[in-house]
Amino acid sequence: MKEIIKIEHLHKTYDTGAVQVHALKDVNVCIYEGEYVAIMGQSGSGKSTLMNILGCMDRQFDGVYELDGISIAKQKENQLSAIRNQKIGFVFQAFQLIPRTSAVKNVEIPMIYAGMKAEKRRKKAIALLEKVGLGKRVFHMPNELSGGQKQRVAIARALANDPTIILADEPTGNLDTKASYEIMEFFTNLNKEGATVVVVTHEEEIAAYTNRIIRFQDGQIISDTKVVK
Amino acid sequence: MLLFENLKLAFGSIRANKMRSFLTMLGMIIGISSVIAIVSLGDTMRTLMANEYKNIGLGLSYMYFMTPDDVYTDSTTFTVDDAKNIKEAMGDSISYVGFQYSSRTDMKVGRKSKTLYVSGLAENPTAMQNLKIIEGRMLNDKDFQNKRNHVVLQKETAEEFFGDAKNAIGKNIKMKLGEDLEDLLVVGVYENTDSAFMKLMSGGSMETAYVPESIVVGDDSFNWSVYFVVADTTQMQQTQARVKAYTARMKNIPQDYIQMSSAAEEMKSVDSMLGAMSSVVGAIAAISLLVGGIGIMNIMLVSVTERTREIGIRKALGARTSDILTQFLIEAAMISAAGGAIGTFLGVSAVAIGGMAFGLDAVVKPEVILVAVAFSAMVGVGFGLYPARKAAKADPVIALRYE
Repeated sequence: MKEIIKIEHLHKTYDTGAVQVHALKDVNVCIYEGEYVAIMGQSGSGKSTLMNILGCMDRQFDGVYELDGISIAKQKENQLSAIRNQKIGFVFQAFQLIPRTSAVKNVEIPMIYAGMKAEKRRKKAIALLEKVGLGKRVFHMPNELSGGQKQRVAIARALANDPTIILADEPTGNLDTKASYEIMEFFTNLNKEGATVVVVTHEEEIAAYTNRIIRFQDGQIISDTKVVK
Repeated sequence: MLLFENLKLAFGSIRANKMRSFLTMLGMIIGISSVIAIVSLGDTMRTLMANEYKNIGLGLSYMYFMTPDDVYTDSTTFTVDDAKNIKEAMGDSISYVGFQYSSRTDMKVGRKSKTLYVSGLAENPTAMQNLKIIEGRMLNDKDFQNKRNHVVLQKETAEEFFGDAKNAIGKNIKMKLGEDLEDLLVVGVYENTDSAFMKLMSGGSMETAYVPESIVVGDDSFNWSVYFVVADTTQMQQTQARVKAYTARMKNIPQDYIQMSSAAEEMKSVDSMLGAMSSVVGAIAAISLLVGGIGIMNIMLVSVTERTREIGIRKALGARTSDILTQFLIEAAMISAAGGAIGTFLGVSAVAIGGMAFGLDAVVKPEVILVAVAFSAMVGVGFGLYPARKAAKADPVIALRYE
């Protein structure tokens, strides 16, 4: 099976003036293509730090991180931008849609940075929005959508450039129970279609949707187990 | 990211904050419009001046004495004979010599009286004053040589006293010339073709009547200066030199005591003065452009801070540093270019309206517009650079958490 994420001896230290914080201590983990993984831990456990590194937004770390065979530490700034654009689909807790911009235009953004032509972009964006059940709200503004709907736009956006992995950081954190259920069902279905999905969460019920749970505490992995359904 | 996408983005952003965008542009608008209006005003005046002097004739010169010890005697003044001699000696190179006699006086017909100017014209009068004769004839050389009591009236004067210009021909009027009330015969009526501007400058409504100079400048009079018109303006310097040399010999006075000036020289000095003035004022207006630029920088900084999260999102989705830089630079350039365009429109309109109001042919040189708009675009990009770089350097992790 193909290694999508390979992490070896990963260390991350924050220098906050007087105190040094060891956010990640000698982390080693492999995630394979097609897996459905939850990364769990309390705040301060290091899961958010790992998330930022996985998402190629933080280059300051020691150790090895390979994404789909590419060594991230060796990449230049512009190359990392391209990797984020092409290989990673982000879904954030706070949705992070561009305000005063329609759903379809939000979904198009990764494709714009990929250099896709306008007509092709528009078609694909609409198709993706239909896939997440928002075919009738393509031109709605974010403030006209519910939390669950916004997150679905975010998922459509994450899929825009057919990424290698989907990285979801507390995707249901700002949603009610019903919407949380809907969103996690989406991720499950995407995984069934073959997508590699990594969900960061601190809620057991959310982690239960996945197939593998990696638990963090004080910057280290304390357990890595298969989910028994 | 494509230029077109950035343009759409910038346009959308400006439209989303219409009031704020407008207020930001205001500095640029005021700066550009005032630069264009003021510099064009200066250009217009200079063109007008040049045209007026052309009408007067750039060949016009005058000569006067200036002694080092400021002592003036009979020989340091000009007589009618002197004028005659100069004219004969210079021949064809000088088309007119005279004393530019001009005085306010009263004209009377029957019981009706009016105050106006009376001007004297010597031989070859059209070389000095090429009047547009609408009835009768212009004064001629014989009028001057024979000291005839003839007069050419302005159209408005003729109409006022005689109903219309045609009626005035052949009539007699009384006019106080010097000490005496003289009888004058109307031989012609002319129309004042001065531009509205010149009329404005000369204080408007005083009408002028022309008589042969020989009836107002006595043979025994002493005059401080003499006027002459050079026939070939390309020979101005040489002709002036010859006149000077001849006059010095004739009056037995050193050449240094003789001063000359010409319409051409005057025009040059007025022109350069106007030019300097409008440059100075234009520079001051340009400073307001700078202030406008600072306003843009200020607003862009605010905009960048407000959109920190958006910048974080875009970077997470794959925007490179250069993409963000371009996005905000184009936004700044668009604001200032829009301000420049609006300012240009206002400036040109102001010049056009002002021109119509004062009856002037307002001139806006295309170079002025080009420079103004180019400058505003540069200001926008220059002042937008710092905020754009700030935006581009944002760390996505931190930016995404920004409230």
